[in-house]
Amino acid sequence: MLRAIDVPQTTAEALTSLARARDALVIGGGTLVMPKVQAGASGLGALVSLAHCKLDKIAIKGDKVTIGAATTLAAIGEERGLAFLHSAIESVGSPTLRNLATIGGNLFTEQPYGDVAVCLLALDAEATVATRRGVKKVSVAEILKKGIGRDAIVTAVSFKKPEKGTWFYRKAMRRAANSASIVTIAALLPQSKTRVAKARIALGGCGEKPVLAAKAAAALEGQKLDADSVARAGALLIKDTAPFTDAYASAWYRARVLPVHFRRAILGE
Amino acid sequence: MQDLETIDTRFFSAEREADLDVVGTTVPRVDARAHVTGKTQFYEDVSFPGMLHLKMARSTRHHALLKKVDTRPAEKVPGFVRALTHKDVPNNWYTILRLIGVEPNDEPVLPEDRVLFQGEQIVAILAETAEVAGEAASKVKIEYKDLPAVFDVEEALKPGTPAIKPHGKNYFVYEGHHCRRIRFGDVDQAFKEADHVIEHRYQSAPIEHAPTETTGCIVKPEGNGRFTIYSNTQACYFTLDNAALIVGLPFNKLRVIGGTVGGGFGGKVDVTVEPIAIIAAMLTQRPVKYAYSREEEMQVSSPRAAERIYIKDGVMKDGRIIARKVTLYVDAGAYSRHSPYGTTKAAAHMPGPYSIPNVWVDAHCVYTNRTPSSAMRGFGVTIGDFALESQMDRIARMLKMDPIELRMLNAYRDGDMKAHRKKAEGCALVEVMQKAAEMTGRKLPERFKKMSSLKPVGSKGEGI
Amino acid sequence: MPSTVVTLKVNGRAQEFLARPGTTLLDALRESCSLTAAKKGCAQGTCGTCTVLLEGKPVFACLVPVETVAGRSVATLEGLSDGDTLHPLQESFIELFATQCGFCTSGMIMAAKGLLARNPNPSRADVVRAISGNVCRCTGYEAIIDAVLAAAAKMKNATPIRKKAAE
Repeated sequence: MLRAIDVPQTTAEALTSLARARDALVIGGGTLVMPKVQAGASGLGALVSLAHCKLDKIAIKGDKVTIGAATTLAAIGEERGLAFLHSAIESVGSPTLRNLATIGGNLFTEQPYGDVAVCLLALDAEATVATRRGVKKVSVAEILKKGIGRDAIVTAVSFKKPEKGTWFYRKAMRRAANSASIVTIAALLPQSKTRVAKARIALGGCGEKPVLAAKAAAALEGQKLDADSVARAGALLIKDTAPFTDAYASAWYRARVLPVHFRRAILGE
Repeated sequence: MQDLETIDTRFFSAEREADLDVVGTTVPRVDARAHVTGKTQFYEDVSFPGMLHLKMARSTRHHALLKKVDTRPAEKVPGFVRALTHKDVPNNWYTILRLIGVEPNDEPVLPEDRVLFQGEQIVAILAETAEVAGEAASKVKIEYKDLPAVFDVEEALKPGTPAIKPHGKNYFVYEGHHCRRIRFGDVDQAFKEADHVIEHRYQSAPIEHAPTETTGCIVKPEGNGRFTIYSNTQACYFTLDNAALIVGLPFNKLRVIGGTVGGGFGGKVDVTVEPIAIIAAMLTQRPVKYAYSREEEMQVSSPRAAERIYIKDGVMKDGRIIARKVTLYVDAGAYSRHSPYGTTKAAAHMPGPYSIPNVWVDAHCVYTNRTPSSAMRGFGVTIGDFALESQMDRIARMLKMDPIELRMLNAYRDGDMKAHRKKAEGCALVEVMQKAAEMTGRKLPERFKKMSSLKPVGSKGEGI
Repeated sequence: MPSTVVTLKVNGRAQEFLARPGTTLLDALRESCSLTAAKKGCAQGTCGTCTVLLEGKPVFACLVPVETVAGRSVATLEGLSDGDTLHPLQESFIELFATQCGFCTSGMIMAAKGLLARNPNPSRADVVRAISGNVCRCTGYEAIIDAVLAAAAKMKNATPIRKKAAE
């Protein structure tokens, strides 16, 4: 049961609070942690809220974007400079949830939730991770694989804003809104002279963690984005994923529809 | 745009009473103003000083003997007040409809030696706060000895399958029989005479009501020895009657304040929370709240029963159904609750609103180790209709016949003898289909336009 | 487990109470402030029955540790109407049968209020989006959407007295 809720005013204070208790956890909007706390037997003794640590700024300098980890998804959804991310933001929960949920929290959720994390993976985003020993940059890819230390806090994420026509996103859901993912596709496909120069495809709803579909990405590089190349790449997506069965969809169904939604994400139909 | 507001009085004009004038008008709800101002009192909107919270330690197994139940680790949690087991229940065995003669009393308030479904409540923990109660409940140590579990209705009825119920059968016994039965005419002979025989299997899944308000109650001991029960039950008298019999109190010692239900749909007609909360209030002389969590509401509270229905029909070329054989299984899960009644309704609902001269029905109420099912919106009838009407559509497709015309041809008329040996009366299916066809712009052939529920049908084949 | 003294401004009035660690904004409203219109349906942020306005923005009160919003202003259903006069949302919900069991109603109305404060002229799709976090098991939603649009129309057409005189 909870012994304390700390509401620090700076990151340094938050780190001190974290260090004080082995069973403390950082909380952003509470949308992931509070359900666990209220279900009981979470094993948590203390919560350290980032709500007042001033980690909610969005900075866009040229094509470099830095977003404070405690920035709500709603705020990102209102930032005109991040319009490319809006369809992804809109696909997460409901507007009411997004008034609380933070971008930092999305890195620590369980699939088939965590669609913004899928986007950050596709964008090859970097996270700023603070501990009492200092601050360092860690790729989101690594954080998704290994997590962060018990005493660390993600304070910001940053990425390069994609050029027009290079960003693709689609989330297949059970309902028009407020649904976890059947499959989520986020792809960064910069092109040079009508051919895909580099491909980075991230998938959600397809395994315990968001994954990069490396084989499908390799198959797209050097190709034109047309029905044939997309179909060939689509067939390779499954090789890098391990879809599971849950209340939303079976593993079989996810595997079956993954290439279809991939095609719709890239080609629009 | 079709007028859906005014009653079409052209139909059955001889039967209309002149002074009925509410149906067809708009009447505001009496409770709407309280709902929109937040003044409606749901049971959990009431609170009392010194109120205790009750949380259940629940079975993690589908079917198991309880070898050991140890509440000592729970007792150590600060704020723990008391643990209740079956020993604290004066009359532990009940079934909801006992007062209308349904027996046996097959469900324990708290299990004595075994659990029959995953999620079954085992030990009630009382504590000063809901958090402590939940924490303590999670610490109760239970040792199980797994028993073979059965999850399929036909598996459950196979001769070799062990009985999971104390009365020794995996089915509810209807006056000495293993199912509800209808025998009318001779289906086997009729199948021989039919032009076509069409047979299909229909299966539904359990369906959870998922009300936005979870099941719960607060019981307050009063100074005069009575108990006030604030409950969101849909069935205040089921609660009152069963609780009085379980706790061994005269009926007038219990007062139920209810009728305000945050979504019922049949999901709040069981009596699962009030009896143990009353016992807790009796033993502690403090108000007690027992509220289901969302997870409990979804997994533990009773859903609509899954049903498996086999329908075999003998059909003539001209669309007359001359024989219908139905074998129906209701999956009652671990306990009877409303399923025996639902299965009776299912049998009574066969063969659908159609005049069929040869009918054979076996409707079984089957026990499995699944969450006990119970009532939900037309239970016993709704899923039967899904099967019956899917079958009618398949017949129509097979005969390349209009599905509306197939139904009108076979519909009951007033005076027809039903398979239940009762004469059909007040029939209106023909007219409803005529009106629906008109409203949807569907042109019916003349003889179907001329059909009437009031026209007696001698031999079937009217209008052909 | 020491409690924290928390002050909130609820429906314009200061509320001060003790909060044990783990007390959510919903618990505080219902138990410490006796404002029971906001409901507890899931404790997971999935049903919406706890929706209140936090500084004008709809949030799920069941997910907010109350210490993190100390000093902020909260609006609940109880603050919507002024004595006997109902807010257009409340009137429309009654007139258009947008409430049956009533359990989702507080959350629905507060989500709608949040919408209309930002967008007084919502499309049907805007309303659907705004209530997408609120579950109703009774009405099938259409009556609720109709009621929100009707309320928006009422609020737009409410003409100040001097404008009427000019006509």
